[in-house]
Amino acid sequence: MSEGTPGTAALVPPPEEPTLLGLHEMELNFGPQHPATHGVLRVVLKVDGERIVSARPDVGYLHRGTEKLFETETYPMVIPHTDRMDYVAAATNNHAYCLAVEKILGVEVPKRAQYIRVLLDEMQRVSSHLLWLATAAIDLGAITPFFYTFREREVILDLFEEYCGARLTLNCMRIGGLPVDLTPGWVERTQAFFETLEAKIDEYEDLLTENRIWKERTVGIGVLAADRCVAWGVTGPVLRAAGVAWDVRRALPYECYPELEFDIPVGKNADTYDRYLVRVAELRQSRRIALQCCDWLAKNPEGEIRGKVPRVIKPAAGMAYASVEAPKGELGFFLVSSGANKPYRLHVRAPSFVNLQSLPEMIRGHLVSDLVAVIGTYDIVLGEVDR
Amino acid sequence: MTLTLSEPLFNALLAVVKILFVWAMTLAALLPNLIWAERRVSGLIQDRPGPNRVGPLGLFQAVADVLKLMMKEDVVPLYVDKVLFTLAPLITLTPALVTFAVIPFGSSIPITWNGAVRDVPLVIADVNVGILYIFALTSLAVYGIVLAGWSSNDKYSLLGGVRASAQIISYELAMGFSAAGVFIAAGSLRLPAVVEWQHAHLWNVVPQFLGFVVFAVAIFAETNRIPFDLSEAEAELVAGYHTEYSSFRFAMFFMGEYANLIAASAVVTTLYFGGWSLPGVAFTGLWGGLASIAVFAVKTAAFIFLFLWVRWTLPRFRYDQLMELGWKVFLPLSFFHLIAVAAFVAASGR
Amino acid sequence: MSLLDRILLLDIFAGLGVTARHLARPADTVEYPEKAKEPSERFRGMFLLDEERCIKCTLCAIECPINIIYIDWHSEKNAEGKAEKKLDRFDLDMKRCMFCGLCEEACPTNPRSIWLATKTYELGTYERNESLYLDIRKLTQWDGNVKPFPTADPAKAPVNPAKEK
Repeated sequence: MSEGTPGTAALVPPPEEPTLLGLHEMELNFGPQHPATHGVLRVVLKVDGERIVSARPDVGYLHRGTEKLFETETYPMVIPHTDRMDYVAAATNNHAYCLAVEKILGVEVPKRAQYIRVLLDEMQRVSSHLLWLATAAIDLGAITPFFYTFREREVILDLFEEYCGARLTLNCMRIGGLPVDLTPGWVERTQAFFETLEAKIDEYEDLLTENRIWKERTVGIGVLAADRCVAWGVTGPVLRAAGVAWDVRRALPYECYPELEFDIPVGKNADTYDRYLVRVAELRQSRRIALQCCDWLAKNPEGEIRGKVPRVIKPAAGMAYASVEAPKGELGFFLVSSGANKPYRLHVRAPSFVNLQSLPEMIRGHLVSDLVAVIGTYDIVLGEVDR
Repeated sequence: MTLTLSEPLFNALLAVVKILFVWAMTLAALLPNLIWAERRVSGLIQDRPGPNRVGPLGLFQAVADVLKLMMKEDVVPLYVDKVLFTLAPLITLTPALVTFAVIPFGSSIPITWNGAVRDVPLVIADVNVGILYIFALTSLAVYGIVLAGWSSNDKYSLLGGVRASAQIISYELAMGFSAAGVFIAAGSLRLPAVVEWQHAHLWNVVPQFLGFVVFAVAIFAETNRIPFDLSEAEAELVAGYHTEYSSFRFAMFFMGEYANLIAASAVVTTLYFGGWSLPGVAFTGLWGGLASIAVFAVKTAAFIFLFLWVRWTLPRFRYDQLMELGWKVFLPLSFFHLIAVAAFVAASGR
Repeated sequence: MSLLDRILLLDIFAGLGVTARHLARPADTVEYPEKAKEPSERFRGMFLLDEERCIKCTLCAIECPINIIYIDWHSEKNAEGKAEKKLDRFDLDMKRCMFCGLCEEACPTNPRSIWLATKTYELGTYERNESLYLDIRKLTQWDGNVKPFPTADPAKAPVNPAKEK
């Protein structure tokens, strides 16, 4: 088996050879109903004792045909469906789709709408990373951080609810801008929340970062070096933990990100612990961006929130690709228009799906317990993997 | 009193009364409250109220839980080994309940019989190899887990059972070595003698802190709780050895875990925290005896709280890491500790 | 990690300290059936239709991404002899509604004849078809049965940390 070609090498199960005592490897069906697969992921494992000889992820249990469904909907009607892909980060999904359509239409988004969009994105990133921290910790047996992170996440969801009327499936962006303007006092409340967030992040770090059990379970687990990450097309915190400072917000800037100051946290060991550190650092960076947006919005309380978009959206025939830095990685929408009022084809580059491909390589040789840590470290959402 | 009893009969009667008392305390009073306390403490730690619907403050939650479990359908999967499948929960629950036999839960109570006053020691059986008895029994409990894992005919249960059998050796050795220090200091394997030595001198936790740490960690592993609940490991093995159990069979595992927890706390209290004794307080007479029971209960409860607190704070080890910890860290540490204690005792010329 | 660190378990105690601090904190949760968090003004909940205002343009049915709205109407001469649209059916499959609010946005009347900001989210029912497949009769009447919020008194409302400031 060659390690050079991602895609097929890891999927071909090695020929079954009896071990020294004439024993065979046990096949263990991990999922789709399993507490630690974050949904309905199924992984077929070959285990020698508890050591994983091969792993074959089996996806599709949550397949809803969303991409086909997109082709039957007019452009504005697609937005609520994008909410339901990565259902814990609906704002970034909305954003990526709207960017793709705006690109093909050539619409300019007003500055104020850009700042609100970026603020919503960063709030969504914080809420998604908090959810990741909660579930990754619970996979490794630490139950309590779940409740602490959910308390903060709840505040963000309340703010979302106040802005757009929903907590998870936000439907909070429109082609060319935003559906509604902010409610009075919303920016101040958001600012107040982000001011207090720093202390809360310190608290999570007290519980986990230096904890020896947490370190033993994560340091050196699921290493995927930078060149392998690139070969598999892995993006997001998993790639950055390998030391590659690739962040769509910097690499292919969109909206008002060039005007904002933030760092791209990178790790160096490319293991589960570094991915944890990168995500915690991203929480702090998102907080920084969000505070800058709040400042700008407080200074500019008035302004257009929607660009000039025709009532019936019928882009000229052509193609466009737009991507955003979603909490899971690079989320891209590839849009093909035939000139009709519906997309001819709308392909989604879902970071969870692309990242998950590297699971067989990342897990080989580890124990069954580590599989839980590694699935947790991807931060996959099966709604996005299967679409 | 016209009723006359022969001496052996009277002793037997006393033993029965003590057994009933201890079991009533653990099974009827402590166990349900412990299940309630676990959930309340977890609630408090997690900024939520915890169960508060059944009875005042939710105190009858455990009763409701057990009733619910009893009324559920008793599912026995098709290809299980029925004999072992039935036996396994019993094997888990029984040793925990029998462990209390040798633990002195109070000083003594004076009872007048045949005109003579005699001090009845508050221990069910004053066995002169008390600690060996405890080690023998607690090691038995793992058979319940291994057999449950094997007989369920389920791959996850099997992994749970294998983990349990692999891990027990790694911590029991260190546990035995660290406990040996206590007996070298006390000069006896009898648990009442250990308590009396601590009463006369000082609590073992101070001179034998290293031994205490090793013993305490080992006892966490022994009770199969986070950070060492590897054979159960809900996130990895679904529910480990009891994946296939339901209804009252599961309730027995459930109660067994908590009975084990009480027993383990009682053993730590006895070995390292002076059992029923308080420094400088002499427990004599009827009230003294009762007060000593209360002291013992409070100390045990404090240790139980530590168990709960740790469970809701820490992540879980991997089973090979637990084995490494046992063999590479705790075994040398406890060995070193044993030699140090022995050398100190020899040097002080006792 | 030094040997002393290994034995004294300092990292473990840091974590235990965090949980100990939380042990003393009051609960953040709300006892749900007795108390409930009141949704915000824009909260998208149960669908409400004002038949008087509705001009039967069917834009909401067209804009619905999952086609759960079905409208039937016929023309009728009113007392002044003018043609007027009369609603025959306005059916809504509430079981499938995803509360995106596009129907509300599509509504051309001013004020709108459809709105979702009803603050009603307790939509669980025992009878699947009876209660959640809504025709015109139910759509215009259901809000008479909705209980007022238990936390209508703002002084007793649960404190939201974000709103405290």
